[in-house]
Amino acid sequence: MIVDVALFASLASFQPDGLPGRHSRPLEFPEGFLISQVIAALALPDEPRVIFVNGRHAEESAVLRDGDRLAIFPPVGGG
Amino acid sequence: MREIMRVNMSDLSIKTEPLPAGWARYGGRVLTSAIIFTEVPADADPLGADNKLVFAPGLLGGTNTPNGGRLSVGAKSPLTGGLKESNSGGQAAHAFGKMGLAAVIVEGKPADSSAAYMLVIEADKSARLERVDAWKGMGNYAVAEAIKAIRPADDHFSTITNGPAGEMGLKASGIAVSDMKGYPNRFAGRGGLGAVMGSKGLKAIVVSDKGLKNVEHADKEAFQAAMKVFANALTSHPVSGQGLPTYGTNVLANIINEAGGYPTRNFSDGRFEGVEGISGEKQREVTLERGGNVKHGCHTGCVIQCSRYWFDKDGHYKTKGPEYESAWSLGADCGISDMDVVAELDYTCGDLGLDTIEMGATLAVYMDSGAIAFGDGDAALATLKETVTGSELGRAIGDGAEATGVKYGVAHIPVVKHQALPAYDPRPIQGIGVTYATSTQGADHTAGYAITANVLAVGGTVDPLKSEGQAALSQGLQIATGMLDAMGFCIFVAFPVLDIPEAFGAIADMVSAHTGETWDADALMAIGKEALTYERLFNQHAGFTAADDRLPAFFKEVPLPPHNAVFTVTDAELDSVFDFVPETAAGLGIS
Repeated sequence: MIVDVALFASLASFQPDGLPGRHSRPLEFPEGFLISQVIAALALPDEPRVIFVNGRHAEESAVLRDGDRLAIFPPVGGG
Repeated sequence: MREIMRVNMSDLSIKTEPLPAGWARYGGRVLTSAIIFTEVPADADPLGADNKLVFAPGLLGGTNTPNGGRLSVGAKSPLTGGLKESNSGGQAAHAFGKMGLAAVIVEGKPADSSAAYMLVIEADKSARLERVDAWKGMGNYAVAEAIKAIRPADDHFSTITNGPAGEMGLKASGIAVSDMKGYPNRFAGRGGLGAVMGSKGLKAIVVSDKGLKNVEHADKEAFQAAMKVFANALTSHPVSGQGLPTYGTNVLANIINEAGGYPTRNFSDGRFEGVEGISGEKQREVTLERGGNVKHGCHTGCVIQCSRYWFDKDGHYKTKGPEYESAWSLGADCGISDMDVVAELDYTCGDLGLDTIEMGATLAVYMDSGAIAFGDGDAALATLKETVTGSELGRAIGDGAEATGVKYGVAHIPVVKHQALPAYDPRPIQGIGVTYATSTQGADHTAGYAITANVLAVGGTVDPLKSEGQAALSQGLQIATGMLDAMGFCIFVAFPVLDIPEAFGAIADMVSAHTGETWDADALMAIGKEALTYERLFNQHAGFTAADDRLPAFFKEVPLPPHNAVFTVTDAELDSVFDFVPETAAGLGIS
């Protein structure tokens, strides 16, 4: 299945293509992959993170579906 | 014993007097709000002689408290018609604190309405008013330079200045405060307080703190111990210790956009296709390429360091930040995705003395009328500059989003209590909608920053798309914010304080060690409630009712993409947010 993966702030450099930018990349994963498995596949650092699937908060235990947009942020704030 | 300095613009007298004993525990916002509540009639004309403009450092101002140098500026607001506390960074608060001033109250109105004055407060607390008529109409940056030119070369001072927008009485005008380098780029931006300063004929305040030492603590050792715990919390929390110093406040652009709550083209979409161009990450990359600064504090003692300077393409200072709210209002809300355009608009607001949030929202409303196109940066800049020409269009724009929307027949005017909504749409982020609706300040994100639990997973989580739990979340945050503002803390200390229990305890320990009195969690929260109670009662006396604690109807009726959300918090829930006011008012003996 294809999942659109966007990584932000300090996580952006973990995109497999190694290119800069926060734009999402279509990445292929096995059917039924969990968010935690994507995190492991991308080798994201073992730090707190905020995760959205299709613009809604999601837990790392959630199952991804073909066509989902997955966005992962380190903890951020401002205002 | 802290003192109050009274500057009477009617007879040009300056007096200092002891801070009343009943206010000995007050500083910052609770003090400015108590003074306005007590001394300004609720029906006063905001630009008349009866209104007062109050500047106050927090209770910890003038000390070495980490992130404890914020300035509260209070008055009856010409924009909202209610009691306003506008909060600014910059160096002035610590200067007031170091010389033992709990507040400077500017009152009355000069008989000669053509006069412009500068209030000079020397480090020995001697003060005088000087005529500066030649400075009338000058922008904040030119005034800051003019002040620098007349101060002794070895002086150490900060400035509080008013741009032409404030001199003209525009309701979107703010007051500029100098940062550590002397740039007049920190703002008590919201609520039209520049117009109040202008109505008093006050163009500038200079505060020298040359040679002054930090205020002593009652128990220095205990203070140092608590301060260490607090500073550790600020630097170890990922938001205040990493995200903010690295990317600045505008690190929020992408996450609020992802959540579908990034108001775009006058609140007609929750996502902006051009967000990358005005995001915090891109801002950092470009700033570094151009030799700009990406990490400094807005005031001495800041350990978070979220401030930065934007440089133009030629490598020269253009403006601060831009901060998240400004990059949003002058960017996404106007359909503009070029940060250089945003920075030019931000600089122009800063120099003229206009609130960037109100101005971006106003330009977006004007664009929504069809008069100029969304995304047209040149037209936006020309319209912004029109504010100080005295033209009919300029007057409407300079009076803010509501004045502009009413004049140009715009259906969707995003204001509460006449003040424009900041950078989070309340439909998919409902907690912030409760704050917008109910805050004594009008729509104000800082009054109760529910983005924490709604989006950022700080201080727990509350589903942003549902109404459940939002009123309680907003109430707790509004009270806590009232406390932080009273102490002079930067609001960003809330990120670690909400997640790290020891950090909250450290605040109580620092205040106790500084004052020599016992402060616990209840005492801290009581101060927050008292600040809100003065404001709430003043607003009621000024004519506000429950009907003023509502969002514009379109937020309840028009679904916002991508979640097609509407605001669903009930009126009864909104009306519960200030349920503590009667009890607090009784305790204070006010009604």
